[in-house]
Formats: sequence, structure tokens, C-alpha cells
Amino acid sequence: MALAASVASDLFTAILQGTPPGTVYALIALGFVLTYKTSGVFNLAFGAQAYVSAVMYFKTHTEWGWAIVPSLVVSVLVLAPLVGLVLERLIFRHLRTASAVAKLVVTIGLTVALPNLFDLVTNFEAIAGVTPVGIVPDGASVFYNPFGNYAFSRNELVAMAIAVVAMAGLGGLFRFSGIGLRMRAVVESPRLTELDGIAADRVSAFAWALSSLFAGMAGVLIAPRFNTLSAGDFFNLVVVAVAAAAVGRLVSLPWALVGGLGLGIVIAVLNTFLPRWSEDVTWLRPLQDNLTPAIPFVVLFVVLVAVPSIRRTREAGDPLAGVDPPPPSLVSATRDARRTLVTRIAGTTFLLVVGVVLFTRGDDVWIFLVTQAVVLSIVYLSITVITGFAGQISLCQGTFGAIGAFTVFQLVDRYDVSVLAAALIGAVIAAVVGAVLSLPIRQLSGIWVAIATLAFAFFFDAVMIKFSWVGGSDTALLQGTKVPRPVIGPWDMGDDKSFLVLALVVLVVVAAAVIRIREGTIGRTLRALRGSEVAAQSIGISPARARLTAFAISGFIAGLGGAMLAMHQENVNYGNNFAPFAALFWVVLVVTLGARTVEGAVNAGAAFSLFDTLILKGTIFGWILRSPDRIPGIFPISPKWRFVLFGLGALQFARHPEGLIEASKQRSAARAERRRAAKETAGPPPAEPSPPVAVEETVS
Amino acid sequence: MSSILHAREVTKRFSGILALDRVDIDVEEGERVGLIGPNGAGKTTLFNCLLGVLRSDGGTVELDGTDITRLPVHQRARRGIGRTFQRIELFPDSTVREHLLIAERVRQGRGRLWKDLVGQGGPRPDEVASCDEVLELLGLSDLADEPIERLSLGKGRLVEVGRALMTQPKLLLLDEPSSGLDRVETAALAETLRRVQAEHGFAILLVEHDVELVASFTTRCYLLDFGRMLTDGPTPEVMAGDKMRHAYLGDVVLEDPAPVPVAGSAKNGGGVR
Repeated sequence: MALAASVASDLFTAILQGTPPGTVYALIALGFVLTYKTSGVFNLAFGAQAYVSAVMYFKTHTEWGWAIVPSLVVSVLVLAPLVGLVLERLIFRHLRTASAVAKLVVTIGLTVALPNLFDLVTNFEAIAGVTPVGIVPDGASVFYNPFGNYAFSRNELVAMAIAVVAMAGLGGLFRFSGIGLRMRAVVESPRLTELDGIAADRVSAFAWALSSLFAGMAGVLIAPRFNTLSAGDFFNLVVVAVAAAAVGRLVSLPWALVGGLGLGIVIAVLNTFLPRWSEDVTWLRPLQDNLTPAIPFVVLFVVLVAVPSIRRTREAGDPLAGVDPPPPSLVSATRDARRTLVTRIAGTTFLLVVGVVLFTRGDDVWIFLVTQAVVLSIVYLSITVITGFAGQISLCQGTFGAIGAFTVFQLVDRYDVSVLAAALIGAVIAAVVGAVLSLPIRQLSGIWVAIATLAFAFFFDAVMIKFSWVGGSDTALLQGTKVPRPVIGPWDMGDDKSFLVLALVVLVVVAAAVIRIREGTIGRTLRALRGSEVAAQSIGISPARARLTAFAISGFIAGLGGAMLAMHQENVNYGNNFAPFAALFWVVLVVTLGARTVEGAVNAGAAFSLFDTLILKGTIFGWILRSPDRIPGIFPISPKWRFVLFGLGALQFARHPEGLIEASKQRSAARAERRRAAKETAGPPPAEPSPPVAVEETVS
Repeated sequence: MSSILHAREVTKRFSGILALDRVDIDVEEGERVGLIGPNGAGKTTLFNCLLGVLRSDGGTVELDGTDITRLPVHQRARRGIGRTFQRIELFPDSTVREHLLIAERVRQGRGRLWKDLVGQGGPRPDEVASCDEVLELLGLSDLADEPIERLSLGKGRLVEVGRALMTQPKLLLLDEPSSGLDRVETAALAETLRRVQAEHGFAILLVEHDVELVASFTTRCYLLDFGRMLTDGPTPEVMAGDKMRHAYLGDVVLEDPAPVPVAGSAKNGGGVR
């Protein structure tokens, strides 16, 4: 009897404990569902929107010392809807008929760009040690203990009350008001809705203002949970909240609330009741310790894989979805061969000149930066395969890279394996992981692959790296995850120039392989699948097998690149290099610049590594003006601009899924074509453009 | 004559609605068979069950004597079911010839990763030759290197047929090939299909709204309504029969009869897509 009573009381305490974090998940899940229902956008940038309001509140209340109410009005009631309206007006209004994947990529870009942009505009720097405060006085220091076993802080109580009120209010809005119905109609088919005489623009502007208001409120309410404000933390919370929202199949507000609270409570209950066998079994301890933080990602993954109705594609519901023109083909396939040749010769010459200058006159810093660019290009080629060829947005490429890097670290550290052999083994392991990962998600498509891979990345981040046979617990604590440079015969790659040569060789080999895969059976199979899955199946292509191959190849390349990155930095540097939020920027970069060509990947590598130094620090102007002293005063520009520019560049994905480089090439090819046509048809008087050119124009 | 397609008691339910009620259908070798019925009769559902796009709730499907009821779509395709689509399904970013080349490569099943990596993944001369043969047969030789985006709908349908032919089907399923085409184009398509069939000798199952096309193209046809197979027999007989009139016009008691299908226009431009 006594035991039962103590279990019951423990359970009750655990439930109370789980409620405050559950409320946080529920708040974000509610806002996420709200955005998804009213705008049809799977809004990963929700955390970024929340972050903006949280920063504004921090600025006004904590830094400038405003009273609570005006700070709240400015940051939540004014700024947040304004952000939503601006996003809608400038971005999402034009994307309403874009594919779900395109919208997802745009929100990923915003996730990177928006916080950095806002930091720049408001000149915000997170101050270590100054914790954000809540919206009630003494929110974190006054406690109430209604049941005698758990004390709620004021902040927590306010958040809970607001979550319940918001859910009721939103539910009422959807059920009883005309605007709720219209918002749903606009999501289903904006074109049809407009044909019915409803101004889709105004409805969707309202929807965005509302959901952004919610994001702002959630941001201000949950900020006190963090020691310092960082956009990455908000993004992590969004991923957890997506798991909660997934419980309600992303459309049910009450279920999102239940899912969020449920997650918080389940985690707390498990923490209380899990048997402590790990005390005796050491290798189990990391699993035990990290089981509970991993639960949201496991839930998310399982829901995606096991609940078919959640991935019912929205596009299928829009009867007017088919009126969009198909994506254009690669320009090198259509433009005339001489032009391609000239471009290639010019490109090669440029690279050669850069190489010669670098090897003869470059200092250590430049060698380092260029090597980093080369190594990252290798990693980015993995995105070319999975996103450019297979058309899947994978958000776990950082994890594949980390697997390669950790394998080298472990094999060299423990078994003294040759570094290069270890790198290859790491790549193979990453390939196997990629192949296995592709099995459960083989039925998913579009944005659901992105979310499932994100869940996997966070799972790896939360659990796997804690194992000593992955992250290397004790040695890693003492000396970091050290990785040596390889030695091949007489060449010691400890020398930076030698390592650069090695990296270049690997890049060339991988790039050649990628090009051959594109032109070969696998590339053509993937292209067919991306074009039309049903048609590809009808000629005997197995989608599951093709995707498995693509994930394995992509995993291999990312693993190899990750291993090279670790060798280059002589350390794995998991947090900086491979963590899910860091790797998000990889996808943004590659997709922005061009996911379908090797050139795009190389440009992305160069952009990641060199953009900051060359452009933002103004070095290039120093070269042009032949003196570093004459760099104009506006330099150096904050490195955050890199994230802002390329993040916003991802917005282009909806219109130019082939990337900025390819799009500009298409434009110039079209111009050349037009000039030639003008010369041929008309002679002296200015000529009309010929019909085929006009077609290309509408495309580009 | 032996049966190429032999389906027995195919049943499909959609949450309580019986979309297919123990439907039997047979197609003999080299035969041209039609499947007609008013909107909502279950034609597309039956089609999808035969192809494996939908998993049927009961019944068996045999292709050339092998039970394929439990096979996924791509395996049925490899065993000899080719198809075209009502709403045309092509691979953007590919030329006409590339559509056929990939089908040929998949049929041969000789694509390997290492071959791609050593540069052996490109089209081989024998593959190109067999593709060009089919293109020639369909009258698409001039368009072989055109990007698919530049083709008209009618030519696009021919490319679909060509792509299906490359898999060397025993049975070709045509899903409303006349939709979106005008009468001249439809007639030309039918003519080409007849010619190609004479050459290759596969069987054709045609799902079609255009009664005129069914009447002129098929020798035998099935009439499906409300998920039940009403009748089958030589096409002229079915067309003239009471059940046909009943299915399309309904009983006198019915207050809201379905419109009479007018030849060549029933589906054309019907609804915005």
C-alpha cells in the first residue's frame, strides 16, 4: 500500500514537473499548427519569428529599462504582426502556389537570415549572464506550490494560462468566424478561392499577422527558459514542437496542446520512473541519460513514418496545381556548344591563375581558407546528389559528415588506423547509415523527408554523440576530438599546402564521380523519379531502391568530406561544423547557388569560406586599390551579413529551383540566343524576338 | 489464345463505399479491349488495382499465368504491364529520346553504380538503336532530341506510348488517351496505336470516355457501373445493348440522369486542370 501511494505521489509530482516545459512545447506547437493551417507553409522559421520578438522585448525591457506593458506592446502587439505582414507581402504572397518543398526551403532560408538580420538592425548582441526576464514582475523568483510537491514560478503559470486561452480563442475563430473558413480555403487552393471572389491576398495577410503575433507571444513567454537568447535554441524548440504538432496531424489545435503537454509530461515521468540500471552498465549510461531529450525526435520520426494520413500531400488537393510551367532544363543541355566551351575555358583559366597565385604568394590564412572552401565543396557535393539529383531535401548531411569525422577520430585514436583508410571507412559507415535511414522514410515525399531527416539529425545530436565510441567521452573532454593529418609515403599532409593538394585531388575525383553519376543510369533514374514518380514506376523503376542508392552515395560523399574537414581542422569540432543548426546553412547555401551542378557546390564552398574575408572584410577592395589601408570605411561589415544574404538568397528557390548561378546562365544564354536570332532574321532594322526565345524568357 | 490478363473478383472499398464489387476481367493475347462506364463507375479504381497503385481488398490478378496480386507497381511493370496516363506524366528536363533510353536501361536491368563511376553509364549504341526504332514507328524521329517541354499534348502522349513500348509490355493499359486531344489528333493516335500493335503484338486495355474511339478501336469491351461489371462482349453489341443505355442514361425513375456522352467531347476540356 505504501509503495502504491508513493508511486502515485511520484507520478503526480512528475506530471506537475512536466507541465511547464510541456506548455512551452504546446505554445510553439499551437503557433506552428496555426501557420500551417492558415498559410499552408510548414514554417520552420517560426522559431526565428519568436526570436525576433524575444530580442525586442529584451532590448526594450531589460536594456532600455522600459516598463513591462509598453515593451510588450511594442515587441508582441506591434512588431510581431508587422514581421508577419512583411514576410507575407514580400515573400509568401508570391509563393502561394509554389510547391510545399519550395516553401519549406524558403522558411529554412528565413530561419538563418531573419535572426541575423534583426540582430544587425537592432545592433543586438546576446550578453552572457543576463538572463531574459518574463512578462510578470519577479516571474522567475516568486513561486506557488498549490499541491505541496512542485512549485510553479509565476512565469510558468502565466505561460500556461495564455496557452489555454489562446487555444480556446483560436478554436473559436476557426469554428465561428468567416475568416477562419476563408483562411482554410486559401490554403487549399488560392487560385480557386480567388476565382470565387475572395481576395486571397487580404486573407493570407491576416493569417500571417495572426500567426506571427502568436510566434512573438510564444517567443517572449519562453525566453526566460534560456540563459542567453540564441536563434539556435529557438530552432531546436520548433523541432520539438513539430513533434507535438504531429500528434495532432499538424492541423488540430487541441491536439497540438495535448501533444505539447504530453511530451513534457512523458519526459518528466520517464525521468522519474526509469530504472537506474545504467549505474552498473556503463555503456548504457549515455542512452539512459539522453533517452528523455531524444523522445521528441523519436516521436516525430515515428509519427511521420507510421501515420500515413499526416503526409497526405497538399498539392494533390489543389485542382489548379498543374498550371505551373515545368522547371527548365540545365542550360548546358540547350545552349550552343561553343558558348559552353568558352565558359569552361574561362573558368578553368581563372581557377588556374588563382591556384598559382595562392601557391606562390598565399600566406597561411589564405591557404587555410581556400582549403576549407575545397573541403566544404566536397561535403556540398553530397547535397548536389541528394537534393539536386534525387530532389529530396535532406537536413541531416551534417550528421553524415560527423559520422565520417568521428570515425577517423575513433579509429586513429584507438586502433592507430591509417588516417586515409579511416576516412574511407568513415565514408562507408555514413553510406550505410544513409541507406538504412532511407528505408523507413522510403514512402515519404517532399517536405516529410526533410522533417524526418531533421529528426534524425537531432536524435544523433542529442543521443549518439554522447557515447564514448562516437564522441569519445573522456579523451574528448581532456584534449578535444583530435584528428591528425594523413601521411602518404614521402608527403606529410601536416604541411598545409600539401593538404590543400590532397583536398583538391579528392574534390576532383568526387566531382568527376558525381558528374558521371548524373549522366549514368542512377542519375537518369533519379531524374525520372523526380519528374514523375508514377511514370517512373510504370517503366519498372523502384523508387525505394533509387532513393536508397541516392542516400547511400550522398552519405558516402558527406562522410568523406566530413572526415576531410576534421583532418583539416585537426579536430572534429562537432558543434561548429556538424550540429543540425549549423548544417542547415549548408543546405541553404547550396540550394541558393545551385544544387544541380558541381559548379554550384564549389561556389557554395567558396562562399561559405571566403565570402566573409573577401567581401565583408573588404580585402578584395584592398587588392583593387593596392593597399589595405585604403579599404573604404564601411568595411569590415559584420559577418552576420553572410547568413542574411544567403538566407534571403534561398527565397529565390521558389522561382529558380536550379539556383542563382544556373538562372543567370540561362538569362545570358537567352540573351545570346536573342541577339543571334535578331541578326539572322531581320538584318539591319531592330528585330522582334522569335517565339522560342519568348518561351525561354517566361521561364527564366 | 491464352489469357494475358486474368483478374478475378477484384474488390476495393473506400471507407465504406464499395468502389469495386468482385470485378472479373480478362484480356487475351494481342486483343484490343475497351473498358467503359459513366463517371464514378470505378474504371480508374480498377485500373489502379490492376497496376498496383492501389492495393485491392480482395481478388486476384494474374498476368500471363503469374499471380501478381501482391507485387508493387514497378515489379508489375517489369513483368509486362505498360501504361499511359490520363493526365500526361513525363520527365521534365529530358529529351524525347532520353525518355525511351531510361526505360530501355531499366528493362535490361544492367545499370550498376560502378559502371556509372567508370563512365560506362551513358547510352550504348544498341540502346540508342532500339529507341530510334520505336521513335521511327511512332513518327517521332524528328523530335528525338527535343526537350520534352516543347512538345504538344498529342506528341507527349505518343512519347508516353513509346516509353511504355520500351518495356516490351505484354499488356498496354491506356488511360483515357483521348483526353485533351481534339478529334483529328485522337484519330491519328488511334491509327498509330493500331499500327504499333500490329508490329509488336501486345494486348491493349483501353479505358475511355470517348465512345466513338472505343467503338472504332476495340473488338471487345466491358461495361462497368457502380463498381460492378454489367456486361461484356463484342463492342458493337455492348454499345447497342440495353445495359449501356441504362448505365449512361439511367432508369426513367432516376431524376438526375447522367448526360449522354457525346462522341469526342465528353471529357475534352471537362474541368480545369
